[in-house]
Amino acid sequence: MLGPTGQSSDAVRVIVEFCRFAREKGLSVGVQETLGALDAAAALGVRSEELKFGLRSILCGSKDDWDLFEECFQMFWRESAVEPQSSHRRPPRKEISSRVSERNPASLMSMGAGEDVSSEEDGAQTVTGASAHERLTKADFPAVPLSDLATLEQISIRLFKQMSRRLARKRRTGSRGQVDLRKTIRRSISHGGEPMNLRYRERKPRPHRLVTLLDISGSMSPYSLFLVKFLYTLQKHFRRVDTFLFSTGLVEITSLFRAQRLQDALQALSQRPAGWSGGTSIGGSLREFNQIHRRKLRSSDTLFVILSDGWDTGDAGVLAAELGAVKRRVRRIIWLNPLLGLKEYQPITSGMSAALPHIDLFAPCHNLESLLALEKHL
Amino acid sequence: MGGCEGVVPWEGLTPRAVEVTTMGESRTLLSGAGNHEVDAIVSGFEHLGYVTDRSLATAVYLVTKLRKPILVEGHAGLGKTEVAKVLASFLGTRLIRLQCYEGLDISSAVYEWNYQKQLLAIKIEEGSGKTVEEKERHIFSREFLLERPLLQSILAEDASPVLLIDEIDRADEAFEAFLLELLSDYQITIPEMGTVRAKHVPYIVLTSNRSRELGDALKRRCLYQWIDYPSLEKEMKIVRTRLPRIEEKLARQVVGYVQSVRQLNLSKPPGVAETLDCAEALQALGKSQLDEEAIEQTLGCIAKSVEDSSKIRSAGIDKILAESMGGV
Repeated sequence: MLGPTGQSSDAVRVIVEFCRFAREKGLSVGVQETLGALDAAAALGVRSEELKFGLRSILCGSKDDWDLFEECFQMFWRESAVEPQSSHRRPPRKEISSRVSERNPASLMSMGAGEDVSSEEDGAQTVTGASAHERLTKADFPAVPLSDLATLEQISIRLFKQMSRRLARKRRTGSRGQVDLRKTIRRSISHGGEPMNLRYRERKPRPHRLVTLLDISGSMSPYSLFLVKFLYTLQKHFRRVDTFLFSTGLVEITSLFRAQRLQDALQALSQRPAGWSGGTSIGGSLREFNQIHRRKLRSSDTLFVILSDGWDTGDAGVLAAELGAVKRRVRRIIWLNPLLGLKEYQPITSGMSAALPHIDLFAPCHNLESLLALEKHL
Repeated sequence: MGGCEGVVPWEGLTPRAVEVTTMGESRTLLSGAGNHEVDAIVSGFEHLGYVTDRSLATAVYLVTKLRKPILVEGHAGLGKTEVAKVLASFLGTRLIRLQCYEGLDISSAVYEWNYQKQLLAIKIEEGSGKTVEEKERHIFSREFLLERPLLQSILAEDASPVLLIDEIDRADEAFEAFLLELLSDYQITIPEMGTVRAKHVPYIVLTSNRSRELGDALKRRCLYQWIDYPSLEKEMKIVRTRLPRIEEKLARQVVGYVQSVRQLNLSKPPGVAETLDCAEALQALGKSQLDEEAIEQTLGCIAKSVEDSSKIRSAGIDKILAESMGGV
């Protein structure tokens, strides 16, 4: 590795030192990368300006790393020996989430907490120990105290990931059906009866497209930020996902979701003037959807999901008509309503009852458990 | 050179670990060996019509030197795929391309047995009196192997080819995991034949549009290069290189125009490919300078959806025009 290049041990030490520094700053630099960096230095020469580019291509693995590297590099080579060594060391990176929260302290999560933090129903008091997981999974989102939000977030990200892995597996094994003997034999006639190409009985294809509309009006605000995360995880498992937010109007956030990592997407989202926590016009938003985005629906393979509590300030007739129009173009309409988690809830608001006849699946989405239960419907 | 802004001049800085080492010593030990070769890559690529900067050229040099695969990420239309093509012609070697898509599987990426031919061979040999083992060895020999791109790149006889694995983010994770063996050991295992090792290690270029995050294991095996939107000067140079007959004034206007459109937060911001399309279209229309009419006529080159074109229109074509003229 280093032998034949004749690097001095001092040059080696600077590179190794830099790699360690970069690791402390949050780049994922292991032994492999350090050795790679030394190889690059040997190829490029320690004093060449290309060394920076070389080190960057070795030590980085994504755009985030790329930006972080710039910082590290400047810091490492600018800092003089005057400063005591320990003062600029931040705690080393343990896992991705810690790094994200460090860079992005005002996480969107805290916005959704609302004032009813103090409510102590559903066992959502500060949880500790082994039962924390169980309790948090069942706790109503708005009832989760601030202190537990971080834990809940971790659990939910893990569970969403597990769910998505299961979904992926399901698709893979289910992709090929049984051999269709009849067709196979019919086809084999041209080969003198030798079954050369096996024909398969096709399984009914699962929906490939997901269109989701998330209500972000005031009444939904305790839930909407969690639901955004859920939607983000889902998009991996459909060939195509179109995501919209609505309150009084409709905003498409598909590209935002697709291009970015979850934390970045959330941050970008919070900066959009999308009318977070305003009033609601479900019917109007649906009409806007139908006018502009109708071509995104194809009856054979689209799953249409609305996440809303059904409190509509608009005309219920419009809602029913527009939802009916959607219904004709999609395979299934799923309406997720967080209020369904309440025992005494009845879907009798004018909007909700107008919508019900068009809905294929009406399900709750007030806690983690209810979201995970959706797996079998996706 | 476009990408050189912000390069820290190595000399002027004090390393943090100054008490551990003196840079003065290491100077004598290593001269910038790679300098000339990086220069050679920059000018060689430019000769082939690909304007690059030292950052990318350095990464490419390391690909050839360390024999590691490189992962190139960036927005659409910035010449990611082109890197592999130009590298192949620069090295005077063959380009083997694998376009990834969802559901890409081993049989279309690596190899497949030619079942029809195998069945026929069995039929033909029915009366030949060969033992079962002989027959088996025969039908699982290379004669019956359909080589797909990845296997082709390993089996290359004469020289190392360039293997382009395009849009790896579109393939699913299982395929990504399969690639690991190839990327780190340059070998492929075929159960019926054993492990095939590369005679000539291919140069591997992977591209990704970041539609999903790639696995850590894959990223660790690769060098990484991010391609950003070019600066005004670099984009000018690209336009001049690719469209040598374009008038300087028009080129400057088009580049300025596209650069300001990029600020508009479109769902698909125009890449360099779009700049070139637009400039070519204007040439074809016989325009010698950019005006509102010309922008309207060539809007389809820049905006790739209804929403984007209306966004450009509502931002005010005259305003964008004034902005892009500012640089002239």
